[in-house]
Amino acid sequence: MTSDASPVSATHGTKGADGPREVAPPAGPPAFDDHRPPSAELAADCVHCGFCLPTCPTYVLWGEEMDSPRGRIYLMQQGLEGEPMSDSMVGHFDACLGCMACVTACPSGVQYNRLIEATRAQVERRHDRPADDRLLRSAIFALFPYPRRLRLFRGPLKAYQRSGLQRMVQRSGLLERLAPTLAAMEALAPPLGRSVRLPPRVPASGERRAVVGLLTGCVQREFFPNVNAATVRVLAAEGCEVVIPRGQGCCGALSVHNGREAEAVAFARRTIDVFEAAGVETVVVNAAGCGSSMKEYADLLSDDPAYAQRAARFASSVRDVSELLYELGPVALRHPLPMTVAYHDACHLAHAQGVRAQPRALLEAVPELALREIADPEICCGSAGVYNLLNPGPARELGERKARNVVATGSDLLVTANPGCLMQVAAAARRLGESIALAHTIEVLDASIRGLAPETLTAPHRQPSHPVKR
Amino acid sequence: MDLDQLAVRLRSEIGADRVLTDRQQLRTYECDGLAQYKVMPAIVVLPATTDQVAAVVGACVEAKVPYVARGSGTGLSGGALPHADGVLIVTSQMRAILEVDAPNQRAVVEPGVINLQVSREAAPYGYYYAPDPSSQQICSIGGNVAENSGGAHCLKYGFTTNHVLGIELVAPEGDVVRLGGKAPDPPGYDLLGAFVGSEGTLGIATEVTLRLMRTPEAVRTLLAAFESTDHAGGAVSAIIGAGVIPAAIEMMDALAIEAAEAAVHCNYPEGAGAVLIVEIDGPADEVESQFADVERHCRANDAFEIRIAADDVERALFWKGRKSAFAAVGRISPDYIVQDGVIPRTALPDVLRRIADLSGSSDVRVANVFHAGDGNLHPLVLFDESVAGQADDAEEVSGAILDLCIEYGGSITGEHGVGMDKAKYMSRMFTDEDLDTMQLLRCAFDPEHLSNPGKIFPTPRLCGEVPGRHKGVHPMQESGLAEVF
Amino acid sequence: MPTDATLEALRKVCDERARPAEEGDSVADVPARYVAAPTSTEEASEVLRLAAEQDLRVVARGGGSKLGWGAPPTAVDLVVDTGGIAGVVEHAAGDLVVVVRAGTAVVDLQSSLAGAGQQLALDVPEAAATVGGMVATNTSGPRRLLYGTLRDLLIGVTFVRADGVVAKAGGKVVKNVAGYDFGKLLTGSYGTLGLVTQLAFRLHPLPRVSRVLTLEVPGPVEAGRAVAAVLESQVVPTAVEVDQPATGPLTVAVLLEGTEAGVAGRAARAADLLGDANEGDDVPPWFGAYPFAPDGVGLKLTCEISGLTRLLVAVRRTAERQDVPVDVRGSATGVLYAGMPADTAPDIAAAVLADLRAAATTYGGSVVALTAPAAVRAALDVWGPVPGLDLMVRLKDQLDPEHRLSPGRFVGGI
Repeated sequence: MTSDASPVSATHGTKGADGPREVAPPAGPPAFDDHRPPSAELAADCVHCGFCLPTCPTYVLWGEEMDSPRGRIYLMQQGLEGEPMSDSMVGHFDACLGCMACVTACPSGVQYNRLIEATRAQVERRHDRPADDRLLRSAIFALFPYPRRLRLFRGPLKAYQRSGLQRMVQRSGLLERLAPTLAAMEALAPPLGRSVRLPPRVPASGERRAVVGLLTGCVQREFFPNVNAATVRVLAAEGCEVVIPRGQGCCGALSVHNGREAEAVAFARRTIDVFEAAGVETVVVNAAGCGSSMKEYADLLSDDPAYAQRAARFASSVRDVSELLYELGPVALRHPLPMTVAYHDACHLAHAQGVRAQPRALLEAVPELALREIADPEICCGSAGVYNLLNPGPARELGERKARNVVATGSDLLVTANPGCLMQVAAAARRLGESIALAHTIEVLDASIRGLAPETLTAPHRQPSHPVKR
Repeated sequence: MDLDQLAVRLRSEIGADRVLTDRQQLRTYECDGLAQYKVMPAIVVLPATTDQVAAVVGACVEAKVPYVARGSGTGLSGGALPHADGVLIVTSQMRAILEVDAPNQRAVVEPGVINLQVSREAAPYGYYYAPDPSSQQICSIGGNVAENSGGAHCLKYGFTTNHVLGIELVAPEGDVVRLGGKAPDPPGYDLLGAFVGSEGTLGIATEVTLRLMRTPEAVRTLLAAFESTDHAGGAVSAIIGAGVIPAAIEMMDALAIEAAEAAVHCNYPEGAGAVLIVEIDGPADEVESQFADVERHCRANDAFEIRIAADDVERALFWKGRKSAFAAVGRISPDYIVQDGVIPRTALPDVLRRIADLSGSSDVRVANVFHAGDGNLHPLVLFDESVAGQADDAEEVSGAILDLCIEYGGSITGEHGVGMDKAKYMSRMFTDEDLDTMQLLRCAFDPEHLSNPGKIFPTPRLCGEVPGRHKGVHPMQESGLAEVF
Repeated sequence: MPTDATLEALRKVCDERARPAEEGDSVADVPARYVAAPTSTEEASEVLRLAAEQDLRVVARGGGSKLGWGAPPTAVDLVVDTGGIAGVVEHAAGDLVVVVRAGTAVVDLQSSLAGAGQQLALDVPEAAATVGGMVATNTSGPRRLLYGTLRDLLIGVTFVRADGVVAKAGGKVVKNVAGYDFGKLLTGSYGTLGLVTQLAFRLHPLPRVSRVLTLEVPGPVEAGRAVAAVLESQVVPTAVEVDQPATGPLTVAVLLEGTEAGVAGRAARAADLLGDANEGDDVPPWFGAYPFAPDGVGLKLTCEISGLTRLLVAVRRTAERQDVPVDVRGSATGVLYAGMPADTAPDIAAAVLADLRAAATTYGGSVVALTAPAAVRAALDVWGPVPGLDLMVRLKDQLDPEHRLSPGRFVGGI
């Protein structure tokens, strides 16, 4: 029993252990089928060094190997070797926030983003989820990618009645899961009926330096219309002619991040069509999650002969608004904003798009604005698209961690580039009995260019923005 | 008791959610940072307290089931390789920093605490924890203690063993023992000194008291580029010969630079055959004069470019290339072996030439990264698993490099440990008598050989045997698993 | 004394370097029977093999300066004099490493290293001390603040086991984690685990310049404050020592070493911190010396760094209570040595030890009675409580199952 000579599968390229405990052969069909499984080659790039672990939100929470990027890749490899897609395996994939902090941390360049996306698509197609989980997911995906339905939600009770979701929601206890997020969104959104409609085209003020198309997004458009308005004003002030194509819908980010491949592909095709028709050289995005998935359209549509090339061209034209402004350089005068600002890296901006320096540089260029860093900046706030709806427990813990770190900076204002993060951190702060004023990076620039007072950004109920000049 | 019964007992002792037996979950623990070796453990436990560790060890001892401790799983010698019929005790949930005691220059931490976290917690008080293995952002203090981890800055400040003042450990028979503490020189044998670096074979540390050091007032870092490793080696000798002990002197050769560039875009000088990173720290006045010496010796040895870090950002970039080098090699080669050997510093030029010869004659590429100040080499032996024969060739070159280290009076491991990987090389460095004597210590702590069996020693010793008085043949001898010295 | 079989056998190994013991060969007043002086590891191995065969209890002796330290051995048959196992085996100056035989006098080693501008960074309290003796008793001095102690400098060891088997651990490179660190086990083991014959050490360059600041202060509290101020500063002292004589003011001494320019600046900053300090090139005469005579009562006290002041106060209080003069010298590392006169009454010495042990324990440390006249020692609990003793006894049982090496000299009667 106590033999020192344990059976070791030695040296290179061995697969699995051959200890006496491993008796049961895998039960059930292999986890992955042939339709775009996670790539064995990409998985093999992982050298098991563990550098990803401290940046992984679930590893930070639980300290368990199988809920780390390294462990999840190991699970994928097991699936590729023929292990079935067990409930526990799916649980560990589902628990991944998709924040991609591990991609930033990885010295070997493992493309975890591609691995987990492929895995999620397989899970969605091949795994039977429990009924209540299925219901929650359908409710979410029937709602969030559709701006019009979201708009209906803005008067929550009326919305329930009208949308027909009400019965489903009540029957399944979904309300409890959805309500806190919706409440947070509603609390942050400007009063109903005052939503801002953007014109289809806004000319550059002064010399025209670029023609750009703007993605208005779903949550952004319905709950944070000020952000879109501010984006248009700042772009125009910096010499951009801004085209806002009608008929644009969801970019597909939520779907692609949750393995809903067919849905994602449809959204992507439509987005490409709409912006191609608008004839813009650059597509500007102010929501980090949208930007990152649009930059990956080439991958998503690589199997589609009609779209593959167009997708690649489109993807290369996508810019986060901070990237574009940084590349263009300022022409509009910045007025002082004497305030302290904590900048939060949205995962899909920092990790997925590698955009960290640009928003900081833009903020630091505002006279009298002091920029503060938040501790553990690489750790996700737990919003992660709809993760906080699907995994409220860990999302809540992560949100509170982040909120505490934000509060510790002693800043007047939390600035980030993603609507999800703003809602998540605000809700977490409220639970902790703190309140944090929030703004999108572009709103700060807008305030500075327009010479507004800092209070316009920190006031508890910010007034809706002035209409955009035609 | 069979393993299933043991699992039931462990669940009742420490809670069901802390005991894993699901095969897919177990397999994520089948290797540490040295992924060539894989063994699926029978059971994984994730204790949260010393009492839980003691309960698990106690249950294992009663059932005569071996156990292995694991921290973050970043070790590079297979030291945390599980036992197929054993329990893997993972300390990653014991990660509280219990105390930062600045007036006494100590921190008390749980074993799962991450190395870098200690320095982060101590920073506001003006202190830091000196040992800095390249994996410091993720490796655990418990793992550092087991392996006596080094790091780039141990040239001046020493290794883990010089910075651990006390431990609480669960000894192999399940007792909780305290050794040392915040005060120096406890009476009795320095068991703590023997425990640090014992690779988990003498028990499991459950609390560690660390020395904190005053954060240096000044740090100056330079990056010097040379045409060849010979020139760089000359600069190292000149610096040390001048009586300067830098905080760190690190060297990378052309191939290692190429890998680091590909991975982290560290932007090292183009065309360098070798770069040195030299760091001087200490009181500002002292640093200035020593740094001038270092710069002079680099120039005198034909450094063609010298960059001096202007700020912490640039300094971090110098180091980023070096610290990510191991994993970065994955960018230029599908597979590789990270070797860890030590030679006397003055033998550096000779040994590097002979490594180059080995590489040339076997057609196996070798990238060199090393702690040049203390002669600790990390040759990275590159190969492609999918090409027949390459893995074996690489293994051979890797072994030959260790033989070189021994030939020059060095060691088969400077900081990665012996673990599973190098047990077979131990008898090249030590006599049977040396190894037998070491195992007497093992027998004092762990007569049943349950704590991380199969590591360090090529052949286990039977503890019950009194030297010179053998009665009959033990079944383990008979089966060839053990031998009596 | 007539020649006997044991002596005959010893002489076969050591020739005339084996002889019957004389009165001066006693260990802590315990008489020995034979003395043998091997000249190599091999000879030492043969001597110890012989001792194993003949069931002889063995005590190793270097310079003899600390032979009386620790508890007295229960019995001594054979004193192994290591003086013949002497000399530097290899000084690899470029590698900052020396390999030296155990019987080498530390002062000889230092003067040979100094030729290359290097040093073994250990303080040598007595001129007679050998390298092996320092290892056996884990001698340290003021400069441990910067350089650490023997355990931090010892990188390789060759020793002879009780059964005569020669074993080695470590090597001659500074960075090395292959195998168990027996050097640490042997350090401070008082010869109870084996006979050390050869050692490898890491070396340090000799400092180019050194400066000493001394400050007289009225009491322990002021001394503690001065020590803390220097420790918290960025002057990076090599040593910070406090001398507290039985009566009168205390002296704090700060040793700074480094380059000319560096030390000048650091000394100026240290002087600012200390206030009214004197600056000079040399350490005061008490610096690094034990505050007790070779035949006096000597204690070693340890505590957490911040406990220094309170332990100094405790010494003064107990001295007053017991009406005995106690001199004490403390280091910023939390190590203090205290001394009482040779004629201290046994019960008084025991009471002082008990008081100080209670105080040191409060501040995380311990007290060991290093040396005392036989009558006093008999009244003392020399080692005090020892955590982990069970494992220590088990280790002793493995390496010296018959307890023949320095029997009774170490903790728990080991």
